[in-house]
Amino acid sequence: MNPQKRIAIYGKGGIGKSSTASNVAAACADEGYNVMIIGCDPKSDSSITLLGGKRIPTILDLLREGMEIEKEEDVVFEGYKAVKCVEVGGPEPGIGCAGRGIIVAIQKLKKISQSMKEMDLIIYDVPGDIVCGGFVAPIRKGLVNEAYVLTSGEYMPLYAANNICKGLSRINTKLSGVICNSRSVSREEEIVSKFANEIGSDLVAFIPKEQIVQDCERDGYSVLEKAGDTDIAEVYRTLARNIMASDCAVDPRALTDERLRELTR
Amino acid sequence: MQQKNLSIMHPRPSSIVAALYTLRDLNVEVAILHGPPGCSFKHARLLEEDGIRVVTTALDENGFVFGGHDRLVDMLQKVEERFSPKRIGVVGTCVSMIIGEELHEAVMEANLDAPVIEVEVHAGYNDNTKGVLFALESALDVGIIDRQEFERQQHLLNEATNVEKKYGAASKEYLEPSRGDVKYTVAKRVIEMLKAGKKGICILNAKKETAYMFADITVALQEVAVKLGVEDNIVNFANLDTELGLPRVRQHAEHILADMHDNVKIDEIIGGLDEYPIAGQQVRQLIESKYKDFDFAVIAGVPHAIPMEALEGMELISITNGPRQVHPLKDMGHEHVLVEIDLHPKTLGVTNIVESEFGATLRQLALEE
Ligand code: SF4
Repeated sequence: MNPQKRIAIYGKGGIGKSSTASNVAAACADEGYNVMIIGCDPKSDSSITLLGGKRIPTILDLLREGMEIEKEEDVVFEGYKAVKCVEVGGPEPGIGCAGRGIIVAIQKLKKISQSMKEMDLIIYDVPGDIVCGGFVAPIRKGLVNEAYVLTSGEYMPLYAANNICKGLSRINTKLSGVICNSRSVSREEEIVSKFANEIGSDLVAFIPKEQIVQDCERDGYSVLEKAGDTDIAEVYRTLARNIMASDCAVDPRALTDERLRELTR
Repeated sequence: MQQKNLSIMHPRPSSIVAALYTLRDLNVEVAILHGPPGCSFKHARLLEEDGIRVVTTALDENGFVFGGHDRLVDMLQKVEERFSPKRIGVVGTCVSMIIGEELHEAVMEANLDAPVIEVEVHAGYNDNTKGVLFALESALDVGIIDRQEFERQQHLLNEATNVEKKYGAASKEYLEPSRGDVKYTVAKRVIEMLKAGKKGICILNAKKETAYMFADITVALQEVAVKLGVEDNIVNFANLDTELGLPRVRQHAEHILADMHDNVKIDEIIGGLDEYPIAGQQVRQLIESKYKDFDFAVIAGVPHAIPMEALEGMELISITNGPRQVHPLKDMGHEHVLVEIDLHPKTLGVTNIVESEFGATLRQLALEE
């Protein structure tokens, strides 16, 4: 049996982590892998496209209601091709602490989930940049051993990606690759690929910007499920294969702010 | 899934503190509280009386924002340098846990010779026994206790929690603290019963070091019975098994038995000093088989852990150290309930039996007979 892959996808908010995560999950499930996706973003939209547009109760929703979560079935739901979906959820904006929420939810999940051990791939869709201790809880609690950074060729997402690399070396976590989710800016592939090389990693996928991804998402499906014979579906498939096959992760070296600016100029 | 328990309004023991006490029982020499300087102040100081050093990383506002990793590494190294302890504990607090501090990373980085027991705990657990459990889990990980002892402790913790929820300070939404009955009046009643030739069982069912004072009640009752010439009317039960429990807990039992000398004979050992939540079953069997016709029982320590069926028909005199235990005991049907106030501070760091107020009152009244 292959060793279990436990990856986290980091990147600036709004850059497309959730849709990348869910499409990769669907592609791996198509290949026959046992996959689990754990959405840590309070919007809880990592799993929605694997569940035909249905929202599942989040771990923190249940805790807020004062429920005692004892069984896996309370928070783990099966979606497309038996992908196991979990959403962490979050507190109301302006009240409470999202970072702590993730810590608590992750600990709870670790305790109750038996099937986590049986997965070939577990994907953590982590919110935004690495900021506080809570956001890196999945790594710290030993649940993640590889990270991917998602970015586009624009300055801000790259800035965030660079920051994330700083965070990763701070917590001794390897980077397995950079993924570009294209915004169709000029020289995008070149910029991101250069960035990836300079931090010591590789560009593992270039996902072109295509309306079909949005359309499938709006309908509540992954591209793999709804538009499996498109080119973009093939891109996700290749990425999924790369992820499952990857075995070279590096300690990323973050760039200076000046260098980063130069790169995007 | 099930709804969580009803929330309790009165302040209650903290899991952080419970973890500190457990580290002490594991013979940890220095415990580091990773958090604000004022956290668990009273107990941290009290524990120092008991031979364990408690230090703090003293996280301030800056620490809350930027984390306290470096401070903790520093403190671990400082502790090793200054105290050369054989065993170290690190205990989380609400602050360090909320901001997601990793105790383990700091411990790895500090790279000390002595084993370090890490306890990721904060004060926000309804059952403070969580603090004990986390400390034990970690002690198991570093090989300080074995699995068998761990499972035994786990079982006792569950039972202790059940007892507190059913009959103890966690049994009601709000419990009024109370000093209980007047000791003079109750002591008089006990002497009156002894003089009338009634037969009594004296049960020591104490929690760990609190036994240093509760045992004084056994001793005092014995002295009084001897003085009145009715010592045959009293039998003594005590949870003073010296073969059970974490290292320090066994020592307490040895000290107390040694201090009783030959003056007090313990007729029935009902378990170890950490078995107070389960000793009740043994008490019940003993009474059913041997002591059914006894008239009264004096129960010191955790009287609410003894099932009422066991005590049927007896007049009950119970001594606790929790002012919030008075009402639950009265509700259970204990006629006389006494509180030994401030028992805990007086029993930390001692190796001899400590005089109790009720014991002193009994002795004084017997003198006047
Ligand atoms: S709130 Fe928590 S961390 Fe702060 S002093 Fe109280 S117990 Fe300690």
